[in-house]
Amino acid sequence: MRLRRVLLSRFFIVPAVLLLGTGVWNVYVARHDHGLLEGRVIDAAGKPVAGATVILSVHDFVTQVEKARTRTDATGQFRFDNNPSHLIQLQAQDGALASPRVTIRLWFRSQDRVVAQPLRLAPRA
Amino acid sequence: MRKMWWRHAALIVISIIMLAPFYWLLKTAVTSENIYEYPPHLLPVRPQLFNFVDVWYLIPFPRYLFNSIVVSLIAVAGNLVLNAMAGFALTLPFVGRRSVIVLLLSCTLIPFQATIIPAYLITAHLGLLNSYLGLALPLLSTIVCIFIFKASFDAVPRSLIDAARIDGLGEMRILLRVMLPLSTPAIATNIVLSFIWSWNNFLWPLIITRSQDMQTLPLGLARFLSYMEDTTGALYAFVVMVLAPGLLVFLMAQSAFMRGLTTGATKG
Repeated sequence: MRLRRVLLSRFFIVPAVLLLGTGVWNVYVARHDHGLLEGRVIDAAGKPVAGATVILSVHDFVTQVEKARTRTDATGQFRFDNNPSHLIQLQAQDGALASPRVTIRLWFRSQDRVVAQPLRLAPRA
Repeated sequence: MRKMWWRHAALIVISIIMLAPFYWLLKTAVTSENIYEYPPHLLPVRPQLFNFVDVWYLIPFPRYLFNSIVVSLIAVAGNLVLNAMAGFALTLPFVGRRSVIVLLLSCTLIPFQATIIPAYLITAHLGLLNSYLGLALPLLSTIVCIFIFKASFDAVPRSLIDAARIDGLGEMRILLRVMLPLSTPAIATNIVLSFIWSWNNFLWPLIITRSQDMQTLPLGLARFLSYMEDTTGALYAFVVMVLAPGLLVFLMAQSAFMRGLTTGATKG
């Protein structure tokens, strides 16, 4: 009876819910923090661009540091497997063409993510 | 009935005025809006929670959080043990009891800033600078909380204590088995007050911590403010994250806290 009262009190339920939520979140993070980042590069007409260079920069309030580069495949897809941050910028370059820098915010460091919006190449300003 | 309606309306207006800064804080934390923007938006525009993620990673927030939790737990434990014993002692008859009470009450008039140098020297002498126990030391016992326990113990019928003595219980067991189980509001009040005072303490940790690893959340907030610019949203998110545990503890113990503060208020 006394145990039931303790288990049903807010002093037990609130910390228990918080602990449970933290545990579930940490399990989710552990299963999705491989640093995989995938996306697509297209040209002004919307066609995939093969061989374009994609630059991944880690961004914070003060600095922006380039961390990795990769190239798109024949279907315009690119993939990073070592994104270390939760706040990054992506830019695609191909000769005289470049896409605007796209800021991507993740829920945790190295979160696996497929970038839905493709990087669109346009003549550099 | 009509009178009651007006009273409730006035209370609602006062509540809105008092809660407005908290609403603004929360709104800025989830929108990154410039707080000087004119005209201001009453409702959040494009709310998002990424400012909280930034705070978690751009400063050692988990470390500050851990330090604050450890220091607050030590302060709460110290308050419960030492204040309960001191409060119980003040309910017992002994020579000079009145003088001790007057001395304790007059000590509440001395601001902490005035005693900070001796407090620092004592802590240094004990070798507790830059340690968790040193951080919690000045809050291990507080006079206000001693008197909250005393008021609560005074409300326990003397006949109950006499019966416990006749049954052979010593003073310590009377405190543990009779007084404390009947003083849950005073215990809750002690927990809430000592937790919030310790959680929000800024000056003492600023003085006795030597390394960033030992800093608590209020120091982290000051540090964040000093080296991050143009980060209104993240700053306010940090403030929300500092405030949330204290609010949670208060809301959980709210009813017992109120009872604890008013116990003995109508005595005498």
